[in-house]
Amino acid sequence: MISTDATSGGTAAAPRDFKSPLKPIWCPGCGDYGVLNALYRALAAIGRPPHEIAFVSGIGCSSRIPGYTTAYGFNTVHGRALPIAQGIKLASPELLVLVAGGDGDGFSIGGGHVPHAIRRNPDLTYIVMDNQVYGLTKGQVSPTSPRGTRARSSVYGSMESPVNPLLYTLAYGAGFVAQGIPGDLDGLAAMIEEGIRYPGFAFINVQSPCVSFGEPDNQVKVQRTRMRKLAAEGHDPSNRLRAIELAQDYGQELYTGVFYRNPNPPPTHGCQIKALQDEREALQAGVTITPTLSATDPHPTCC
Amino acid sequence: MNDLIIGMAGSGGDGIISAGESLIGAVAAEGYYGMLTKSYGPQIRGGESSCRLRVSTLPVLNPGGSLDVAVILDWDDFLRFGSELPVTENTVIIFDLKSGVDRTSLPIKGLWPKVLCGVPLEDMAIKAAGVQQAKNSVILGLLAGWLGLSPDNLLAGLRKKFARKGDEVLQGNERAFATGLTHAHNHPLGRNLRLAHPTAPLKRRVIADGNELCAKGAIAAGCTFFGGYPITPATEIMQHLQADLWEHGGVVLQAEDEIAGVGAALGASFAGKKAMTATSGPGLSLKTEMLGLASVTELPLVCVNVQRGGPSTGMPTKCEQADLFAAVFSAHGDTVRPVLAPTTVADTYGLTVEAFNLAEQYQTPVILLSDQDIAQRKEIIDPIDPSLLRLVNRLEPTTAELKDYTRFRLTPSGISPLSHPGMKGGNYLAAGIEHDERGAPTANGEMHGEMNHKRLVKFLPLRRRHDLFVMEGDPDSPLGIIAWGSVAGIALEALRIVRAEGLDARLMIPKLLYPIAEEVFADFFAPLTRCIVFEQSHQGQLYRLIRMWVNVPQQFESYARSGANPLSPEDFVSQIRKLSRAGLRKEHADRADFLNPL
Repeated sequence: MISTDATSGGTAAAPRDFKSPLKPIWCPGCGDYGVLNALYRALAAIGRPPHEIAFVSGIGCSSRIPGYTTAYGFNTVHGRALPIAQGIKLASPELLVLVAGGDGDGFSIGGGHVPHAIRRNPDLTYIVMDNQVYGLTKGQVSPTSPRGTRARSSVYGSMESPVNPLLYTLAYGAGFVAQGIPGDLDGLAAMIEEGIRYPGFAFINVQSPCVSFGEPDNQVKVQRTRMRKLAAEGHDPSNRLRAIELAQDYGQELYTGVFYRNPNPPPTHGCQIKALQDEREALQAGVTITPTLSATDPHPTCC
Repeated sequence: MNDLIIGMAGSGGDGIISAGESLIGAVAAEGYYGMLTKSYGPQIRGGESSCRLRVSTLPVLNPGGSLDVAVILDWDDFLRFGSELPVTENTVIIFDLKSGVDRTSLPIKGLWPKVLCGVPLEDMAIKAAGVQQAKNSVILGLLAGWLGLSPDNLLAGLRKKFARKGDEVLQGNERAFATGLTHAHNHPLGRNLRLAHPTAPLKRRVIADGNELCAKGAIAAGCTFFGGYPITPATEIMQHLQADLWEHGGVVLQAEDEIAGVGAALGASFAGKKAMTATSGPGLSLKTEMLGLASVTELPLVCVNVQRGGPSTGMPTKCEQADLFAAVFSAHGDTVRPVLAPTTVADTYGLTVEAFNLAEQYQTPVILLSDQDIAQRKEIIDPIDPSLLRLVNRLEPTTAELKDYTRFRLTPSGISPLSHPGMKGGNYLAAGIEHDERGAPTANGEMHGEMNHKRLVKFLPLRRRHDLFVMEGDPDSPLGIIAWGSVAGIALEALRIVRAEGLDARLMIPKLLYPIAEEVFADFFAPLTRCIVFEQSHQGQLYRLIRMWVNVPQQFESYARSGANPLSPEDFVSQIRKLSRAGLRKEHADRADFLNPL
């Protein structure tokens, strides 16, 4: 049966418990291996058994990731991981729901779903493996490619400004926004764990290099030298305005760590629904009930 | 009279629809059956609106053809509805004298109605209630008098309707009603419109529309998740569920778009719940990719599509049966998904349950192809007993099977046990990508072929689902008729008319449209030499679909018209007669050939 606490407890787990026998299709040196290893560690730290985890993805190299875990995986269609994940979470709030995909999946074809997931605030963690290129289709510009990027689909250079995933999610009001790199495995694992523990929609952008079609100055080893840890910079993650300021440097500075964590998380979608269901149940049982949860109420303990 | 059709038209704000709703409530209370259809111009507010009410002592099969009574508040508004409100010289025409029209200046060319009755509707309303908005209450009084309805039921309806508007408004409308009633008594019509006493025993009946019963059917089937997006004419399904599903522990999500609505429903199904989405044509186009994903991952999902005029935005408020091809063929790849079509308002309830049953049993998306007519018309029906329903749940893995769980195991039936998150040992990867028996991605042609076979073979039992077909008429007749959806009720009435004339025919009403139930069709076609398919689309989509799958009778014809062109029993009767004469001529010719081989 399902443990009642959403994010902690259970028996001690090891990262290998979350590793499936499937061998990744990724190229040697791909950043996604690091993300996968960090995820194993984070899930072990959380301690929920694999059958209580639903891992949803879209389409692309990185979206293969659920199959490499022992969780219930759902490798869906391009750009639609978030709506499907929200349906799972709404239907079974007790599950731990993870979502993953690439920058094209999340900010191009699926870009329309991101703001709505944020404003609905379901308790799920969304990991984007941002490599600024379409790798699976062998090297076209992506929504996060810098202006001027020369690729097979833009032989004269991209004429569009990139989407800034950090600013995008912060602007729409995400309660948890972080960025990591696979080269900093400890930092990334801790960040994913923190995102899972955050009661609400958590967004983690991983600068996960494409070894075959990415820029040479943005590979795992180079990233390690460019990385600037937000904690070391003295950033206070409860300061949303400063987080927005720092996020504007996406594409220039490689900040890692938590940009923003809402110190007073608002009620999640699930909390509000649970409150509504409790109210209906009480009404049917003829019991006097406390008023419905409002947006200003402190965060209850249901998730 | 045993059967009466009343049509009313006016401007938005005249309360025409509201008058129709009051009338159907009153006739239901008296024990009649009835059907109320509404039609609007494209405007959000104002503009023209109309309704037609058919009242009968027996269950009403369709909205009927030409009107017995036309109530016209404004001639321009009335004429805009054209063939939706057809009048003949036998139609009793009641109109507001304020329109300035008289017998010599009727705006309908070539029409010489036997009974034409001008009433100072607006003047009477102002005199009685002080406002011209009370016109519809005057009309209710007039009709109560001329049809012989009990004023008590109509007055009770008025009291309920105006209870919140204060005593002044209510009393004004009561006076307006009384004025109409008195006027009717003092001015008998040239034609007797009094309804015969209801023949069926008076018992509690229900007034409902198809969208409402679709929502109720979903709840009865055990649906606990709905994801959708507002779209005409399907929105009411979401609204009814929003009001009711929570009481049953379910969740309703109004998503950011059609794709997210069906996506969330598919997610809920993956999580082990019975889930539904509802839409109309343009939304179906958007939901197609998720339906394909549901097919390949073999997850149960019900998608209701309330058909309206298409393609693209088309005619959102008008009925058409032109989404059949989209329902059947819109997924890429070798997929089949069951398509069901309800034929009446009451039928929508049971067929929604059946859609869930098929989805659960065969682990597949199912499309319930309703249409605007059934979805939005109100019918007086006998109450439905949910205890008679048979509910099917998905096949879950046993404890032994969970020890070495193989989600997509190749079985003779094609159906393999389905786990869901939370079930220990059932962990698997569901993927849009082709997979092997354990769910691992594959690009192996042999495995792809076997998986395609698995996903198709499971539907074979549907070939024999005789219970999803209604057969009427003479089983030995060589003349066949096929009709589906809301058109079925029109064909059924046409069949009764031709049989009363002594012409034998056999009618088939398929509620399962796809996969084509080959055995059922073969049985039906066996004695036939000629057959006609009635439907409301330009191409005759069911006609073409049948031709694709089964051997059809020698003479197999289509009678199909684009949406928003009303079809009537009279229309069908003349087609059946024609087919019969043609058939007879051909038979004579064949015999002649036999006798004179040269």
